[in-house]
Order: sequence, then structure tokens, then C-alpha cells
Amino acid sequence: MRQEWGRLVALLLSQFRRLDLVEDALGDAVEVASRTWPVDGTPDNPAGWLMTAAKRRVLDRLRTEGVAQRKLPLLLTDAERQQEGARTMADGGSLVEDDVLRLVLMCAHPALALEAAAALSLRLVLGVPTADVARLFLVPEPTMAARITRAKKRIVGAGIPFAVPDAAVLPERLDVVAQVSYLAFTAGYAPGTGPDLLRADLSGEAIRLVRVVLGLRPDEPALVALLALVLLQHSRRDARVRDGRLVLLADQDRGRWHHDEVAEAMRLLRSPVLAGPVTPLTASYALQARIAAEHATAPTAEDTRWDRVVGLYDLLLQVSPSPSARLARAVAVAEDRGPAAGLAALEGLEIPSNHRPAAVRAELLARSGDTDAARASYDQAIAACGNDVEREFLLARRADL
Amino acid sequence: MTRYVVLIAYSRSEWEGASEETRDYYFAAHDAFSAYVAQHGTEHGSGALADPERATTVRREGRARDGELVVTSGPFAEAVEHVGGYYDVELPDLDHAVAAASLLPSAYTVEIRPTITIT
Repeated sequence: MRQEWGRLVALLLSQFRRLDLVEDALGDAVEVASRTWPVDGTPDNPAGWLMTAAKRRVLDRLRTEGVAQRKLPLLLTDAERQQEGARTMADGGSLVEDDVLRLVLMCAHPALALEAAAALSLRLVLGVPTADVARLFLVPEPTMAARITRAKKRIVGAGIPFAVPDAAVLPERLDVVAQVSYLAFTAGYAPGTGPDLLRADLSGEAIRLVRVVLGLRPDEPALVALLALVLLQHSRRDARVRDGRLVLLADQDRGRWHHDEVAEAMRLLRSPVLAGPVTPLTASYALQARIAAEHATAPTAEDTRWDRVVGLYDLLLQVSPSPSARLARAVAVAEDRGPAAGLAALEGLEIPSNHRPAAVRAELLARSGDTDAARASYDQAIAACGNDVEREFLLARRADL
Repeated sequence: MTRYVVLIAYSRSEWEGASEETRDYYFAAHDAFSAYVAQHGTEHGSGALADPERATTVRREGRARDGELVVTSGPFAEAVEHVGGYYDVELPDLDHAVAAASLLPSAYTVEIRPTITIT
């Protein structure tokens, strides 16, 4: 049922252009189906059944609506332009005919905040329940429901269209889709608390989003590179938590990694579309994926080719310099050439309200035998750390000194 | 089709000091904007605004209907950037409005605001 969700939302949107109604209507239809199908049997055409039921809901709502509501602005679509295009054949066949792609591009529009776009994409394209989207982003469900409603109002209010843009701007719009998907993915790995330490199952939904879009645009370099990256990161999910605690990469049981996903990612990284010139975003995803691949293919932590990892970070810093990439490079340098070299690479690196630079510095100071300085750095990291699980980890490391 | 007001943040003083070549670039950019709008919709109007020093603000004291009329010199908002011009256009959607705005001179910051029908 969930596989059809995005297509049904898209069909209902192009027919009724009422973004405020389709989600509830389809939700109601799915709810009725979950009650009646087990009793009456699954209909021959489940998607058609849901579409009919959802349509009836929308029509009911439209019938009972007051005059004021009927004057609400409608979602803008490219239906008129499409007819025009078909008449004149203006775009030489490069027009993309797909309602799901329209839906994806509408949800991940650059005029929406990335987080709002991510939440909306999971909800409308994949049908992820609002409660789960809220869990992913670590906010209460009513907050997330309000955020999604606001995003929908903004789409209609600002005139964000349910449309595929010109071929000339489509690649940059798909870059935004990739960014939105990656944000949804990483949200699942932002540490929470208790049993929700990682919400990796929900990160899996973000991977599904990438697969849906890649299914529509199979050769889009940004999406190929992104899928490789998220598969590699996600392949470690079962080894990352033990007894409610985070397990560092070096200590993970590599037998619990999903090696089929690693293999798929390696195939994607060999794709010819990544061989040519690519956008900085694509290059950044591909390099991060290649770094993850070095870890994924090392038989043991000791076998990691840290020299290659450092080299890839050097390239990444050229393509998209960021403090967190510098930090990760410093860790790799320390593994490759020892803690003193790592500390030198850390020199002057600060990330506002982030405990990680101090935590890494503390770890490297401890390894180089400077216990007093390590203790001071741990204190600094512990003070800056906003997450219970990570703070406990740092306190334990400090006590081990 | 949506009616948008395209607000341009730009200081006239930059224009006063502009070279002939820069002015040609600006004129060409505005021509490209208008051509794009004509191709995809309708341009209802446009205007370049004088400096905020020449603005006059009028309001009723306490916003009350019987409040005294207060006329002051200057714009109603103290801001770093001021509206230096506008276009009133009708275009299919925000994507077209952004595409049109992208044709304007690079020194502009452009705000695209849909108009609504008050009922």
C-alpha cells in the first residue's frame, strides 16, 4: 500500500489541486482498507480501490465546504503548459512526464526550508506516518503536524508549482532533492535518548525516497552518489548500538554489517555517470561514499587504509570545505601518522556549540600520554555536549584516564 | 496564473556612480526580464523608486479611525536595504517568477510576493 502512496497523492493532486485535502482523504481510505480488506478480501486492484475511496472523500469534503473555502487558492500545476508543449513539441521530448516526479520536486522545492521539505517528502511521497516523521526529527507529533501543515500552506501561498521545471534547471532542482533526502537520512543518526538512540529504521525511509527518485531519473549523478553514500552508512546500523550505547567504528562487529548493501554501493560508485565532470554536491557525496567504502571494505579496523582515507578527505576539503570534514580528516591523520600529527591537523579548529573537536582533541592527547591536558579537553567537551548518551560516553573515557 | 509583485532591494546611489558599461548591463538585464515575462505571462506595471530620503510616511495616531493624521519624513521601516523598484507581473507559478528574477542585475536582492484577492 505504501508503495502506491506517492503515486496516489500525485494523481489526486493533479485532479483536485487541493493540497490540504488529499493527504487526509488518502489516509482515511487506507484506514478503511485496513479494516475491510482482511474481512472482505483484498480487491483485485488495490491501488484503484484506494484511489476511488480517496476521490470519494475529497468530493464529500468539497460538497460540504462553505463558499469561503471554495475560494481558497488552488495548487498551481503545469497542466496547461503540458498541453501547450504537446501541441508545439517545443521541448524536443525532454519534458518529463511523471506525476511522482512533480510531487517530489514540489516537496523538495528550494523555496521551502530543508527540514520542512524533508518532512513533507517523507509524508507525501512515501506516506510515512506523521508520528514517525516526528520521531525521526526528535520533535513532538503535534509540532511535526503543524510544521507539515505550514509547509503545505506555504506551497499553495507562494505559488510553488506541482510541475516539472525546464530541462535547464532540472539538475539543480534534483540536487535540492538529494540534499533534502540526505537531511532526512542523517536525522535518523542524530543521537536521541533511550531506545530511540538511533532511529535507523526511519533513515531507511529516506533511502527509499532516494530509490524512488532514482527510479524516475536513473542516471542522475547526485542521486547515484547519494544512494551509495547512504547505503554505506546505513549498512552499519545493526553494529552501531549495543546495550543502548553507541559503538565506535573501530569497535563494531563487522559481521553485523549489511554486506549486500555495501556491495550495491560499490557497484553504484563504479557507475559511468560518476566518471565524468560532476557538480560539487555530487563530488562531495561521491568522496564521502568512497571514504565510507574504505571502512566498509577493510576486513578489520586495523586493516583500514588510513593513507587513502586522508587523501580522500584532502579532496573533499577542496570540493566542499567544512569544519566537520576537517575534524574527520584530523582523526584519519592521527590513525595514519600518530596522535601528534592528528593534533597538528586539529590546530585552531572550533565548531560553535559542538563538543566533538574538544572530544577528539582529548582522545588524541590521551593517546600521546598528556593526561592533564586530555582531562581538561574532556571537561570542555563534556560541558559542551548536549546529548545524554554521548556525555556518558565522554565521562567514561575521562574516568579511564 | 499568479499575480506577483517583484520587489527589488537596491540603492539608487549605486546607479548614480555606474559606468556606461554597467548601465548597459542593467538595461539589458531588465529587457531580458520583461521579455521572459511577456513570453510566459503579463507585465502589468513597473517602477523605479526614489531614495528613501524622499519618502513620506502617513499614519493615524494609535491606528484609531479618529486618530490624528501624522505625516513624517522618511520611510516607514528603518532597514538596511530599501525597495528601489518593483515589477507587477502575472506568471504561471513561483518557478517562473524565480526564473524571471534570475535575469535581473546581479546586484539586486529580489523579493517575490504573491498578491491575494481580499474577500
